[in-house]
Amino acid sequence: MTDDRDSNGRQTDSNERQTESEATDQTSGTTDRTSETTDCTSETTDRAFRTDGMGAGTDAELKRGVLQRWIDSTISDPQKAYRAMFYVATLFFVVTTMFPFYWMLVVAVTEGSSYALVPSLTAVDVGSFREVFVRIEFARYMFNSLFLATVTTVLVLVLASLAGYVFGRLEFPGRRPLMLLILAISYFPPAAFFLPLFQLFTGNVFPWVELYNTPGALILPFSSLFMPLSIFILTTFYGQIPDGLEDAARVEGTTRLGALFRVIVPLSAPGVATAGVLTFIAVYNEFFFSFLMTDGGASDWAPIVGGLIQLQRAGQFEVTYSVMAAGSIIAVLPVTLLVVIAQEKIVSGLTSGALKE
Amino acid sequence: MARVTLDGVTKRYDDVTAVEAMNLDIRDGEFVTLVGPSGCGKSTTMETIAGLTKPTEGTVNIGERDVTRLPPKDRGISMVFQNIALFPHMDVYDNISFGLRLREFADAEIDRRVEEAAEIVQMSGMLDRMPDEMSGGQRQRVAIARAIVRQPEVFLMDEPLANLDAKLRVSMRTELQRLHKELDTTIIYVTHNQAEAMTMSDRIAVLNRGQLQQHAAPLVCYNEPTNKFVAGFIGSPSMNFTGGELTGASFSSEYVDVAFDTAGLDTQVGDTVDFGVRPEDVYPVETGGEAADPTDPIDATVDVMEPMGDEIFVYLVLSDEIGVGMGRGASGDDRLLMSVSPDSTVGEGDEIRVRIDRSKAHLFDAAGEAITHGLVTTATPDSAADASTETGEEAE
Repeated sequence: MTDDRDSNGRQTDSNERQTESEATDQTSGTTDRTSETTDCTSETTDRAFRTDGMGAGTDAELKRGVLQRWIDSTISDPQKAYRAMFYVATLFFVVTTMFPFYWMLVVAVTEGSSYALVPSLTAVDVGSFREVFVRIEFARYMFNSLFLATVTTVLVLVLASLAGYVFGRLEFPGRRPLMLLILAISYFPPAAFFLPLFQLFTGNVFPWVELYNTPGALILPFSSLFMPLSIFILTTFYGQIPDGLEDAARVEGTTRLGALFRVIVPLSAPGVATAGVLTFIAVYNEFFFSFLMTDGGASDWAPIVGGLIQLQRAGQFEVTYSVMAAGSIIAVLPVTLLVVIAQEKIVSGLTSGALKE
Repeated sequence: MARVTLDGVTKRYDDVTAVEAMNLDIRDGEFVTLVGPSGCGKSTTMETIAGLTKPTEGTVNIGERDVTRLPPKDRGISMVFQNIALFPHMDVYDNISFGLRLREFADAEIDRRVEEAAEIVQMSGMLDRMPDEMSGGQRQRVAIARAIVRQPEVFLMDEPLANLDAKLRVSMRTELQRLHKELDTTIIYVTHNQAEAMTMSDRIAVLNRGQLQQHAAPLVCYNEPTNKFVAGFIGSPSMNFTGGELTGASFSSEYVDVAFDTAGLDTQVGDTVDFGVRPEDVYPVETGGEAADPTDPIDATVDVMEPMGDEIFVYLVLSDEIGVGMGRGASGDDRLLMSVSPDSTVGEGDEIRVRIDRSKAHLFDAAGEAITHGLVTTATPDSAADASTETGEEAE
């Protein structure tokens, strides 16, 4: 903007004296008003018009409304229009994604069912957040969820690292078909596995396999369901580590496995972080197996889904929406936190150029 | 400090044979360079010694141990890589001490050894730098420190200077030689740069197409190459070769005739042979006095001259087809490359006469194997005996 004005301004200097006298005569009263009410943009156009020596142009300019003047300014500066479109689009997505959370908050702090889009401060009751922990063993459910997600993530990362090493760094016959097979499995509907697994875990196949209501009943299916994605991510990352580094580690005294965990994995930190975060979130958010592989009690290793369903019956004679909403908000927090922290890590890892060699 | 022996080592990849029946005996404390053109199998040989690949056949011994089936970490070796291969996520100290920490040395001992190694490569005071904060030469020195800190029995260096700029390469070359004197360890060095091979090694092993051509001291390879490949590979610019046949007591080709005594040589009249002579053993007639045993003058035309400062390379054409052989350099039968001193009066297009120093010429048979180094005339029968005893000291 300022640039425009400068160049115009310089051109103007010589002309201005001539034209100004004409222009001021005709518009003396109005010009003052405009300069007060409009921003620098309109000033520029004002001047630009005068430069052309069209003193009469100033009149037409003043008849325009705010919107018209803005549109006029975007013609001389198209970037302004793009910026505006960007803000509008962003605002739209922010509102549509954030509103449900906002509404959840409103529901959580409203007693009874007297919901208002903007609840008055006097009506806000944060007691429901306390209720969540009082009515049921919510902390235990949280622990269950975090425990399952953490164990699954570690398991997936370790196994996917081995698979990623093999697929990314070794040449062997059948590598491509095997990769495709893993990819195919990752597209199977999880529900297809449920019945056989349920039969297996409840001891109907082998009486000594009784995993129902234990972490195993959840961790095993989670691991296999979310493994393929991690394998793909890690295969790509491990494949990019120069052979020389692995050779160097092996000559220095590691085994192949040692080279993987001491050199290749640390150098692929962004990839490992990505795979880990995605797995963690996927497990934490998983509903299907979480709901069906346990009886839903806190001591049955039911994750947070079970807790939220229990909260439905927190009040004896009514459906306690406010407590459920409060529980949901608490349940969302760990993942939000993780994403905020990990996002920064992942981005910093990707931009530091740690792999340049 | 150990002897390294390769016994019939062969490495095949699917249908490609990278190394074939390699026998190599590297003495304790020796600086041996594996040299050869790209794809000659020198890196594969190195990897076989390091244990990064297992040979298809044959055995590798380090010291008195058969290490063929041992992983790299148990072989008592350390290695410097062409792409340097410092661990980018570790600082200099961690890089150098990596191997020691894996072997669970005491902290004090690690500190002491890292300090010592850093001092040898003149990198002390930079131990907390990260690899990406250092120049190429500094990184290479850290890589060398990482290799020497474990005090291995054998050092392997796989083109360690290839990625450095020309000036740094020369100074690192002298540093490596100094290092070898200080450490007195067996060093096996791989390069395709024959200047490095010539200047640094006690002996060089010339490889071509997976086969060992010659394993001898640099000057022996230079003066008494076992075959045409070694003769052409060692020395820059390369040796002149002219194909022809033996006629009685002389070598004869379309453009060059050299009379010499064939007595004592295992040759027949009419054998097809290659005559080889290095550019510095060709003289213009006027200054031919420098040659120990000059031939009769040969007529030639100067095609192109390349002044190098300390000498001038003169491309001679023996036929009248000047310019026809574009791109052939000194390789054709009618081409001859001569090096003269920079104060020579020879000019492009001149018709001159040159002599060849017979005592520095070589003969190779049709298969490329050397027949003799240094031709003799009947006038001096004494030197004939010398020439035949000098040949192929460590030829294998």
